[in-house]
Amino acid sequence: MKILKIIIIIFLIYPTNNLKAEDLEIKNKITKNLRCLICQGQSVYDSDSEFANSLKILVDKKINEGLSEDQIYEFFKNKYGEWILYDPGLNKNTYILWLLPLLIFLAGGAIIYNSFIVKK
Amino acid sequence: MIYSLVGYYSLVLGLIVGLTLFYFSFKNFNNATILNSKILSFTFLQFFFVVISFLCLIFSFVVSDFSNETVFNNSHTTKPLFYKISGTWGNHEGSLLLWLLVLTFFIFIFLLKTKNQPTKYKILTLVFQQVIIIGFFIFLIKTSNPFNYLFPIPVEGLGLNPILQDPALAIHPPILYLGYVGSSIIFSSVLSATALKMISISWATHIKKWILTSWIFLTLGILLGSIWAYYELGWGGFWFWDPVENVSLMPWLALTTLLHCIMVLEKKNILSSWTIILSIATFTLSMCGTFLVRSGILNSVHTFANDPERGVFILIFLFILIFLSLFIFFFFHKDNEKNSNQFFWLSKETSILINNWFMMYFLSVVLIGTVYPIFLDVISSEKISVGPPFYHKLIMPFLIPFLLMMAIGPKLKWIKSDFENKFYLICLLLISIFLAYFILKSFNQKILINTILISSALYLFFITIRDFFVKKYKNLSQNISHFGFSLLILSILFNNLFSSEVITNLKLGETFENSKVNIYFESIDSKKSKNYDSIIANFIIRNSNGEEDKLSPELRIYNQPVIATSEADIKTSLISDKFIVVNLVQNQDYFNVRYQVKPLMMWIWISVILISFGGLISLIKKNHEK
Repeated sequence: MKILKIIIIIFLIYPTNNLKAEDLEIKNKITKNLRCLICQGQSVYDSDSEFANSLKILVDKKINEGLSEDQIYEFFKNKYGEWILYDPGLNKNTYILWLLPLLIFLAGGAIIYNSFIVKK
Repeated sequence: MIYSLVGYYSLVLGLIVGLTLFYFSFKNFNNATILNSKILSFTFLQFFFVVISFLCLIFSFVVSDFSNETVFNNSHTTKPLFYKISGTWGNHEGSLLLWLLVLTFFIFIFLLKTKNQPTKYKILTLVFQQVIIIGFFIFLIKTSNPFNYLFPIPVEGLGLNPILQDPALAIHPPILYLGYVGSSIIFSSVLSATALKMISISWATHIKKWILTSWIFLTLGILLGSIWAYYELGWGGFWFWDPVENVSLMPWLALTTLLHCIMVLEKKNILSSWTIILSIATFTLSMCGTFLVRSGILNSVHTFANDPERGVFILIFLFILIFLSLFIFFFFHKDNEKNSNQFFWLSKETSILINNWFMMYFLSVVLIGTVYPIFLDVISSEKISVGPPFYHKLIMPFLIPFLLMMAIGPKLKWIKSDFENKFYLICLLLISIFLAYFILKSFNQKILINTILISSALYLFFITIRDFFVKKYKNLSQNISHFGFSLLILSILFNNLFSSEVITNLKLGETFENSKVNIYFESIDSKKSKNYDSIIANFIIRNSNGEEDKLSPELRIYNQPVIATSEADIKTSLISDKFIVVNLVQNQDYFNVRYQVKPLMMWIWISVILISFGGLISLIKKNHEK
């Protein structure tokens, strides 16, 4: 809670729009990919809750520190767990998630080709 | 109180009628003539009891009868009448009663309208439908009785969740349920047709009407939910790939696939196994949706009621239905081998198969994306989120060939086809690519996949427009639906690419200015309504062309329950929507202002209406020809 308060204070002192246009684009992209943990099914970008707002500031800060997009995701992942990322990376937990649909697609194609198409 | 009693006992009577029908049908199955005269009146009787029960619940809401637990939990005396009524299905118990109402209504209409089919088929369909209906009766009475008693009687109710107090959301559940439950008729009918070995061309023609009907309602139901999310949830988005949205999209995808597949069956009497599987899948997915939402497994805005016992019941029920349908499929169905299952590579059959292939892929993406996090959580207790980026990455690239096939597929002939007139096809493709490149170049967008995606959507757009004028109303329904789809994809893409927004904090009298827009915070009003108090912030917004708009977003504080919501103010035009929403910054005079310009929003809605309008034309045409 203490951290939250400090963040809110920082938020009130600093004006929000101190980012360059390019940074703003990245910020929007990043916050769209972060789940607002206290909301129901909203991203940080879409939410106006205190939690989301404090996270927006944190993203600003990390961008200003010069961290890349992936580094920022990594930072949030370490802090809050994978639950916060809307775009799950490819790792041992998610092989099935990413690859199964593609396998189904290939299998479907194979079935159609083998059983229905006339071959010469 | 009297309403609760009558409502409850009507439910019990409805269940008894269901059981009687069930027993009666089995006993006299071979003596169809006796049944034929009776079943219609029995089915009507059952429907009538459910109507009585439903009306009782509505009356309980209207008169705010707080001795009824459902009313107590979801209503309040100060609520406007409209939301008292819509509160009836804005909760778990009431919405299940609505399910049941639609179930009994559909089977009644089905029996009334089906005249040219054998009596045995009608009766068997009724039997399968009764299995579902009885299941829901028991579920309702046992785990979610809408007429539970409260004593002592509370003086006041708890109120309805404010975000549900909205006209679009009041009609969204009934429309969506008509679509969901419509698929139950397809399910029962396909099982009975399989068991009687009468999957044939005439059956396909007959069931296609029902597929179309539930498809149209499902499409419109999803649209209403999406429109509601757009203006009510306050973030200006219309589709978030939220699990509950996905759950309505999955039956839609299956139903759309079925709609295409049934055309092959109707024309050539092949693909019968596939049709059966798809019909079963569509209803199973609708039921799964109910299970996932009602059990509270999903973390979503829709889970307004959840209870593990209910989840277990629906799950068991679902397994029984799946087992039953698989049993019938494997024991009764024999693929008709006389008809050749071999297609020439360039033919309408093949193009429909390709449609089915892609649709199944999209379905698998949505299904796996929705269900996988739950599995992972159960197996390894690791929590992951699957959000929009996942779906975009897996779906967008596949849309490109899909759109091109949508343009070319309908031009092909059955059995064997060739391109007689390639010239305009290539011409339009070149024009589309050039136009897409030109548009994106001039707006400084350089992402390659967008260019290709827009080219293919434009291609479908031009081809369908050309067909509309050249083909003179031949296959009009397909033409309009496909055109609607191209319009939908184009609107979504342009909306994504060219939306702009300003987020800032403003005090009364202050102005925000950048190169594109000037936002002036003019004044604050306050207003008292029956069920909420509101603060209205008035803004004057001037864009770089000097156009001036006055927008007044609200902050509402609902009294029952006390929840603050912010209501966006949206200025809609055919070109773009101006969307503004405010929030209070804590302990400050500042308002957090979020202003968005969202191009072509209107066209997203229009295109979905066009898509379902295509279905409607096909439905009317079918009836007309008969």
